[in-house]
Amino acid sequence: MVVLTSLFLAFSAMVVGLLFMGIGRKVTARLQRRYGPPFWQSYIDVIKCFSRNSISHSYIQDLGSMMGLAGLIAAAMFVPIAGWLPFPSASPIIVILYLMPIGYLGMAMGVSASGNPLAAIGIGRALTLMLGYEVPYAILLLTFIASSNTSSLAVLSDLQTGGIGNWFAVKMPIGFIASIICLQAMLAEKPFDTMIAPAEIASGPMVELSGKFLGMAFLQHAVAIFIETGLIVNMYLGGGATVLSFVFKQFLLYTFAMAVNGIYGRYRVEQAVKFLWIFAGSLAVIQLLINIF
Amino acid sequence: MKRNEIMEKIKAGFPGADAEPRFSNQIHAAVPAAQITGFITYLKQMDFKHLVNITCVDWIEENQFEVVYNVWSYEHHIHITVKSVIDRTKPELQSISSLWPAAQVYEQEIHEMFGVVFLGNPDLGPLFLHNWLDLPPLRKDFNAEEYSGAAYGFVETDTAEATCIVPMEEN
Amino acid sequence: MSEMLTVSRQDIMDGRYERVLDWFRSRSMWMLYYCTGCGAIELPPTMTSRFDMERFGIGPMATPRQADILLITGYISVKTLKRVVRTYDQMPEPKWVVGFGSCPINGGIYWNSYATINHLEKYIPIDLSIAGCMPRPQAVLSGLTRLMEQVKKGEAVGYKKYKMNYDWYKKNQDEVLYRTEPVLGGSHEAE
Repeated sequence: MVVLTSLFLAFSAMVVGLLFMGIGRKVTARLQRRYGPPFWQSYIDVIKCFSRNSISHSYIQDLGSMMGLAGLIAAAMFVPIAGWLPFPSASPIIVILYLMPIGYLGMAMGVSASGNPLAAIGIGRALTLMLGYEVPYAILLLTFIASSNTSSLAVLSDLQTGGIGNWFAVKMPIGFIASIICLQAMLAEKPFDTMIAPAEIASGPMVELSGKFLGMAFLQHAVAIFIETGLIVNMYLGGGATVLSFVFKQFLLYTFAMAVNGIYGRYRVEQAVKFLWIFAGSLAVIQLLINIF
Repeated sequence: MKRNEIMEKIKAGFPGADAEPRFSNQIHAAVPAAQITGFITYLKQMDFKHLVNITCVDWIEENQFEVVYNVWSYEHHIHITVKSVIDRTKPELQSISSLWPAAQVYEQEIHEMFGVVFLGNPDLGPLFLHNWLDLPPLRKDFNAEEYSGAAYGFVETDTAEATCIVPMEEN
Repeated sequence: MSEMLTVSRQDIMDGRYERVLDWFRSRSMWMLYYCTGCGAIELPPTMTSRFDMERFGIGPMATPRQADILLITGYISVKTLKRVVRTYDQMPEPKWVVGFGSCPINGGIYWNSYATINHLEKYIPIDLSIAGCMPRPQAVLSGLTRLMEQVKKGEAVGYKKYKMNYDWYKKNQDEVLYRTEPVLGGSHEAE
């Protein structure tokens, strides 16, 4: 039974993530005064990717792609959806934050096996950017542990029930702003999309991915969207009473991120890390000091 | 220095050169081929420090090549066009690559495209064309149409169907 | 074997089950554009708000591995042809080629140049040509929607033709491309 529910959760995370991606493309198109693709375009893209021939450079690439997707799905198991978890656990944030890099490391392993130098540059940028947002995120996590004596997402979302006044977004607005900045970097949207950068490094990690590998990368991104927005919803926006309100809050967060994505340019990687450490990091430290004293 | 002074200096130094003014800030100088290196060295000593380019014209009816040097002075704001005529059957000219390193590539290109030999140029090997066995392609007696047709297929301009090289049977 | 096989389109076009996937392929075509010199400026208006080709699911892609369409704009010199053929060989199937402008069709205004090839069709299979010098963005969109229809019906099978007649294409490529092999060292006298 647990296996079935886990599979169902993984599948629905992909479906929801792809739906968000489609709507995000539409939002970007409207911001650029275009009509834009239909919102189901991402589903078509994924099916098309899986229908094409694909070129594998070595078995490491196959393993890396699967490990990336599996790591992110494992992380998704610990995100409570409106208080519901596929199997009973304390849903600790630390475990989620340490399972998510497995996704990126799996991708790094897979695309580095292709031997393309642009892929190596892209992965180098992605891991550097991860260094940028993990530090403020860890400080924010410390804030919760210091003030609520828990690192469990389920407990944190329970603490916020009973109206908007109880949301941590209202109680701790500075930390919320810092986490929104980190979310933009985690989703790798502009201005933090240095790892993709199609014009300079030919879409970075994805440069040698064809056919089903590209489809896997799409699904991986979809699950990542689900986890990263789900984390913020549980930590700051009250978690949602029903599944529908949970997904709606995720959708609002993602739409906001895509709107920011639509109007900004791109940081270089060291500028991005500097920005994250100086602005998001100092906001997180201020929130920590306020909560302690 | 004004333009008149430069022209007087040219006439004093090289009586064989034929210099005349053009437009407001240009000088047009025709120099015998034997004097070309000395003439351009002389100009460079007069602060004409910028070699703009070197090019070549094929006058096939006169049986001549005309090699053209353009130099510019940032001090005097004068542009000098130096032209030198050489025989088409034995196209040889002294190189000026010792004056400007950039001149070496210009001369290499002219050698490739027209077949002019620059004596003293360290490298006159192929530059843009690889494995080229025909006449130099920018000469007037090189038949580009015939070459293109033989190498890449003739283009028939009469019928619309003529462009369809690989027909696919429709049914 | 260097003769072109005569096959009917009926024999090699996609079957009934493949055509289900063809619907998805036709709605999501990613394009790698090889802008050889001219024609690059016609594509930004086609992509941006005036004509917006993303509404058909057609979008630019950065690498040949991800792309479905190879769009070749403008004249193709001998050295460019080498890159075009390599790019085409790197793309996974199914793949389609769109020749953009007069030059890939018959050389265009460079029909008698010593440096540019005249018929791209002899070296890689072209599924669709957009005539004009240059075609306007309307023509580009009309051409791409025609290609979408062909793909949906399973008729765009240039890549199968390429595999079947590889010897013929390879012979044509080699006839031209031997000249692009670099000459290392030694001076070369014109004859």
